[in-house]
Amino acid sequence: MLKRWRTRIFLFLAVLGPGFITANVDNDPNGILTYSQSGAQFGYSLLWTIIPITVALIIVQEMCARMGVVTGKGLSDLIREEFGLRMTFIVMVLLVIVNFGNVIGEFAGIAGSLQLFHLSKYISVPICAALVWLLAVRGDYKSVEKVFLTASAFYIAYIITGVLSGPSWHTAIVATVKLPPRAFWNQHGYVFMVVSVIGTTIAPWMQFYLQSSIVEKGVSIRKYAATRLDVIVGSIFTDVVAWFIIVACAATLWAHGMGNIAMPADAAEAMKPLAGSYAFLLFAFGLFNASFFAASVLPLSTAYTVCEGLGFESGVDRNFAQAPFFYWLYTLLIAGGVAVVLIPDFPLVQFSIFSQALNGILLPIVIVFMLLLINRKDLMGKHVNSHWFNAAAWLTAIIVTILSGILMFQQIGNVWKH
Amino acid sequence: MNEKRNGPSLTLLLGTPITEPRGSLFGRLNDIAVATGTDAGRIAGLVLKTKKGLELVPATEVMGTPSGALELRSTEAVQPLRGDENFILLKHDLLDRQIIDVHGRKVVRVNDVDLQWFSREEKQDLRVREVEVGLRGAVRRLLLGVMPRNALDKLARQFPPRVIPWEFVDVIEVDPARRVKLKIEHDRLAQMHPSDIADILEDLAPAEREAILTTLDEEVAAETLEEVEPKLQKALVESMDFETAAGIVEEMDPGAAADLLAELPEERSEAILGEMAPEERQEVEELLEFREDSAAGRMTPAFVQARVEATVADGIEALRMFEADPEGVTEIYLVDEKRALKGVVPLARMILAKPETRLDVLTDPRFISCRADAHQNDVAELFDKYNLRALPVVDSEGRLVGIVEADHVIAFLRDRL
Repeated sequence: MLKRWRTRIFLFLAVLGPGFITANVDNDPNGILTYSQSGAQFGYSLLWTIIPITVALIIVQEMCARMGVVTGKGLSDLIREEFGLRMTFIVMVLLVIVNFGNVIGEFAGIAGSLQLFHLSKYISVPICAALVWLLAVRGDYKSVEKVFLTASAFYIAYIITGVLSGPSWHTAIVATVKLPPRAFWNQHGYVFMVVSVIGTTIAPWMQFYLQSSIVEKGVSIRKYAATRLDVIVGSIFTDVVAWFIIVACAATLWAHGMGNIAMPADAAEAMKPLAGSYAFLLFAFGLFNASFFAASVLPLSTAYTVCEGLGFESGVDRNFAQAPFFYWLYTLLIAGGVAVVLIPDFPLVQFSIFSQALNGILLPIVIVFMLLLINRKDLMGKHVNSHWFNAAAWLTAIIVTILSGILMFQQIGNVWKH
Repeated sequence: MNEKRNGPSLTLLLGTPITEPRGSLFGRLNDIAVATGTDAGRIAGLVLKTKKGLELVPATEVMGTPSGALELRSTEAVQPLRGDENFILLKHDLLDRQIIDVHGRKVVRVNDVDLQWFSREEKQDLRVREVEVGLRGAVRRLLLGVMPRNALDKLARQFPPRVIPWEFVDVIEVDPARRVKLKIEHDRLAQMHPSDIADILEDLAPAEREAILTTLDEEVAAETLEEVEPKLQKALVESMDFETAAGIVEEMDPGAAADLLAELPEERSEAILGEMAPEERQEVEELLEFREDSAAGRMTPAFVQARVEATVADGIEALRMFEADPEGVTEIYLVDEKRALKGVVPLARMILAKPETRLDVLTDPRFISCRADAHQNDVAELFDKYNLRALPVVDSEGRLVGIVEADHVIAFLRDRL
């Protein structure tokens, strides 16, 4: 009996891979901040967004996974081959800027989470950056994947925090399946928060990263069912974690009227007197884990994607002399991220808004390219989208595009006001 | 003339207006068609986009004009492009695609194509000179239309060129029907060292790998497959049909073939074995019986042996008759009538001796061998301790069954690093 269970669990874990990792990296400090804010400001009333987000995430990620398996090429490779150098160049420049904004966010997350344990950012950030750099340069895909999967598992910390925070389970579950009363929609900032939550969930870099890792893993079409399961399980797990973050903040911060959170670490700090030191420790640890994890993935993924698309030598199995552009870009992204976090008075918030705005421009472009590519018979053969899937995918693309557009204008508007 | 050295680039040439002899606009340059087969590499003609659709005109039938436009000598040479000709279209098939740089031994992406005007029978003809894969081509592509063509050309030339001469370019065509039609045979690729071909395969997408491996002749394909990393080896063999796979596996070193087949699912390796010639099949099947981490799992059954009473002349004859690759041979093994190992003669010592000398005089009295079930760690230790180049493997009755070569040990040790 025990053995059968062990086999089952093993089979389940064996499926987990790029899809699970990508979806989890999505819960980076920026994501955690957004979820914490929504829980702290609006309580349980934003939980209904989780189910539609999950569906959208699965739809978009599944297309990438399928393209990677069928064509054996990365997304930037395909964009280059089908849409030419100029389009690729524009997409890559946008991607580098957007991802740099994210990298800064990750290092800020590392700094913030370790400050909770009274570790100065001038010590923690350089050390973590060096570790991140070495992890990719010294590790091979297999061992890195194992490290990443372990990191993904630590997201359970948030689920435990959610339980420890002692929420009203009934309210939370009802709020997940039911739209909130109309009064909420008239609240100041509610719509903006809805848009933010959805906007942070699907990021352009994820599509590039997921497709490349699947190509790198060398999944064959016959084993595609397992990869699809990986994507679905990953997306669901990620959003379950998001759900618990919102619930934890709703049960503590919102219940005590402490809605104002500016940095991801603030939520942990505020939770301490309300939910006890275990909840605080887990929340802080979860934040560190998420930040470090995302900081290891993003710079590397960016360097890979750009080199692939623009035809530079890439890959950690080559040395600095063989792939100079790859290593320079990778190193500069990390060094730049560290520098920005450590510079006193760097306009961090403005920059993150700027990169979020570019995100809003880039995401629709990437999704439209994906939809055009995946419907090409000469590339995908019989694995093109079905009519129904296409309808759902275009609908997702349109909604995501409109929402990220709204988010972009709202944020630019906010900057103008200040 | 200046143009001879600094030919036009494809990017800057595309879109050039083509005028009729009288001077009115006839069409614009849409693409350039390159012939394949016996005429491989020659430009078959310029593809024009006109009011009637796509048309083809030989490059000799146009002339440059001071304004930069091209002028047709006469409209009679213009023919419609049917679309089923055996052409490689430079823009459509080459720009932004991956090609193999046979000289530089790597996979690169094409940014631009450099062309060159030259004189042919008092007319101007065009040829493909080289493929641009560096910044120079990228700058042209990115800034085209942003600034005037002449200025752009000057600017682009400020960047160092990174080019691959056309004769070293190997085009990858995934569609098998089109590959046959275009006669893409990877002749030049096949001249490369199998390890280099293996590195290139590792850089390509699965369909492209398969396209190349199945086009190479079986012997080269087999040597290449031996050098590919095991995971990729498995994926490649799994993507081929049994017959093609069997043809390639047959040509592989039996030891390597057995390692590969052991990795495949049972029914697949059975099916491939079923397609193989009986002799090779038996050799591989015997090896498959052994544990992979034992000496027998690492060994190859291909070695040179002679009878214990043989002379140097017999030994050299045995070497001549040796069917596998003789380059790797370092020793000759002496066996008695029961195939029991009786001696090991280093090749160098045999060559220096007189033809009538008996081989058993030349053997080292303390030759080293190991049992088939010895663990590979022990095998590696023996190699290190006795500075071996090859190690004979014997069964429980002392009969010689195969040899482990130094490169097998190196491969195994590197796997553990």
